[in-house]
Amino acid sequence: MLSIKDLHAEIDQKSILKGINLEIKPGEMHAIMGRNGSGKSTLSNVITGRENYSATKGSLELNNESILDWTPEKRSLEGIFMSFQYPVVIPGVNNTYFLKAALNAKRKYFGEKELDSAGFLKVIKENLKELDMDMKFLQRPVNQGFSGGEKKRNEILQMLTLEPKLAILDETDSGLDIDALKIIAEGVNNYRSPDRSFLVITHYQRLLKYIKPDFIHVLIDGKIVKSGGKELALELEEKGYNWLDS
Amino acid sequence: MKSLDFHNEFEKIINRDYFSKKIQPIRKNAFDKFSEFGLPNKKLEDWRFTNLNHFLKSSYVLSESKHSEPLKLDLTKFEIPNTSTIVFINGHFKKELSDKIDNVRLLSGIDYLESKNWSLQNPSDCPFELLNTSFMDSGMSIVLEEGQNPEKPIRFLFIASAKEELMISPKIHIDCSLNSSLTFIEHQVGYSDNFFMNSSINCFLDENSSLHHIKIQSDSPKAVNINRVHVKQNKDSQYTFFSLALDSQLSRLDIKNDLNGEGADCSINGLSLSTQNEQLGSHILTNHFSPNCSSSQNFKNILHGKSSGIFNGKTVVHQNAQKTDSKQSNKNLILSNNAIMNSNPQLEIYADDVKCAHGSTTGSLDKDAIFYLRSRGLSFMNAQKLLMEGFAVELFDVIKNESIKTFIIQKFEKWLSEKT
Repeated sequence: MLSIKDLHAEIDQKSILKGINLEIKPGEMHAIMGRNGSGKSTLSNVITGRENYSATKGSLELNNESILDWTPEKRSLEGIFMSFQYPVVIPGVNNTYFLKAALNAKRKYFGEKELDSAGFLKVIKENLKELDMDMKFLQRPVNQGFSGGEKKRNEILQMLTLEPKLAILDETDSGLDIDALKIIAEGVNNYRSPDRSFLVITHYQRLLKYIKPDFIHVLIDGKIVKSGGKELALELEEKGYNWLDS
Repeated sequence: MKSLDFHNEFEKIINRDYFSKKIQPIRKNAFDKFSEFGLPNKKLEDWRFTNLNHFLKSSYVLSESKHSEPLKLDLTKFEIPNTSTIVFINGHFKKELSDKIDNVRLLSGIDYLESKNWSLQNPSDCPFELLNTSFMDSGMSIVLEEGQNPEKPIRFLFIASAKEELMISPKIHIDCSLNSSLTFIEHQVGYSDNFFMNSSINCFLDENSSLHHIKIQSDSPKAVNINRVHVKQNKDSQYTFFSLALDSQLSRLDIKNDLNGEGADCSINGLSLSTQNEQLGSHILTNHFSPNCSSSQNFKNILHGKSSGIFNGKTVVHQNAQKTDSKQSNKNLILSNNAIMNSNPQLEIYADDVKCAHGSTTGSLDKDAIFYLRSRGLSFMNAQKLLMEGFAVELFDVIKNESIKTFIIQKFEKWLSEKT
């Protein structure tokens, strides 16, 4: 699915990623853990194609195709989704309108018929139920006046609606209380399937109690210094990151 | 057109026999004052940002009766369902193109003046108002009786379409008596290359009356629009204004509201959209003279190219006006490095128990928001479009009439699709 080889990246000429290697196969869930400033968010921004984040060396491929030259929208349409750490407030743009536009952009890209309001509502109602969200979410402007938890739920709602192949969850647990965390984790777990992959980016292992990654990688100073199974998260919880510093 | 150049045209209008002789002293008085003061210049605070160069270089002439036939005309393009329309071609009232409006008193300018014993309702020393009074040759007045509430909105459709550079000076009065209400649309369309529209609209709202005033301006890129609206409000009256301004070389709108009676409310809103090198200015003055009145000013500009925008909003709360509730907001999107916005929200408060808020923001589209939308599969163009829609959309909510709202949103969408 996603193949990252010796990826170096910089922002404002400051080198952040210093040779990342990561292979995510269909159906797998990988977690990247690391301290603040280790490059976790840079990695997700490079994968999703954010402006000013430039790859200087190495490769980034989705299903054996280099995506470094793709626009953010093409990456999205081809199946990469990121749940933002800080979802953006978009005043004046109604959530339904936005979600419908996004879903229809995708349908159009794949030559499918665009959904009308009724068709869209059917899709969205099921997803709302899954996340225990109220219909009134849809009438509000995108993320405006949403609490931290509501914003994150709205991200997962978008994920369920857009049905990506690779979902990146960037610090999805931050700002969530335990109930919201459980609901979101359940949404994510139900969404796992043999042809979908996840990349979970997190600071703490709290989220990993509820969603179980197959692999855990520790990122320090722009490099993956250790990889392992679920047990690595517990070890990190116990010992912190310092024992991994070289 | 310089101050002196107006003398020739003034001689012409004074000699027109189809205007009543009784109007002449009013014209002369205004023109004498205009000749004394001359045109405004940038040294005047109120005119600091208004660039009159194009206006000064043009040579405008009076619209003659031969100009009452348009060069081209396709009224279907401007149709707004369920409205009664009065058509003016180059300032001339066209009865045969207009809807018949029963049960509402519509008066010609002269008849209106006569009903007021030949005295001006809102004398003003503003040079362009003096010019309007000197040359008033167009428009119509609406007088609502007590409790009258015309079912359909009334629209004045001004179409400019001539080879010559015409000067058109409508003077319009809208008088709303006790408990009456009206939706009035002022719709300006320009086919002519260059013309000078200098309109004066004067509204009087008696107790408990309401007026929804919608202004739609879409002119040719060389048109000059200098328009004034003066509203006087009595107790518990309600005035709502919405303006959509597109195109024209120079467009300046001055709106003055006098809240004279307790409990009066006014809401003044506008969206100005530029494409190339327009100057779009909104100069709003709200005077709170009485207690318990509320007012809001909400203007937005989206500027492209080398255009410039002005928001000069002022709210004055006079000593008597306790418990005033006023809001002022100006938000602007600048989408080119060469566009300029001058935003100047002002508050003057002389009472001590009031609630006044004001704010102004000017910036480009939010890059994070664009990335967010693109990361959900929307193209760069569609992301920009969606953000501009989101920026403007709240303003349309003040338009209560659905067919007018639809017409305006369509105009906005058309502008948007041409610009993105």
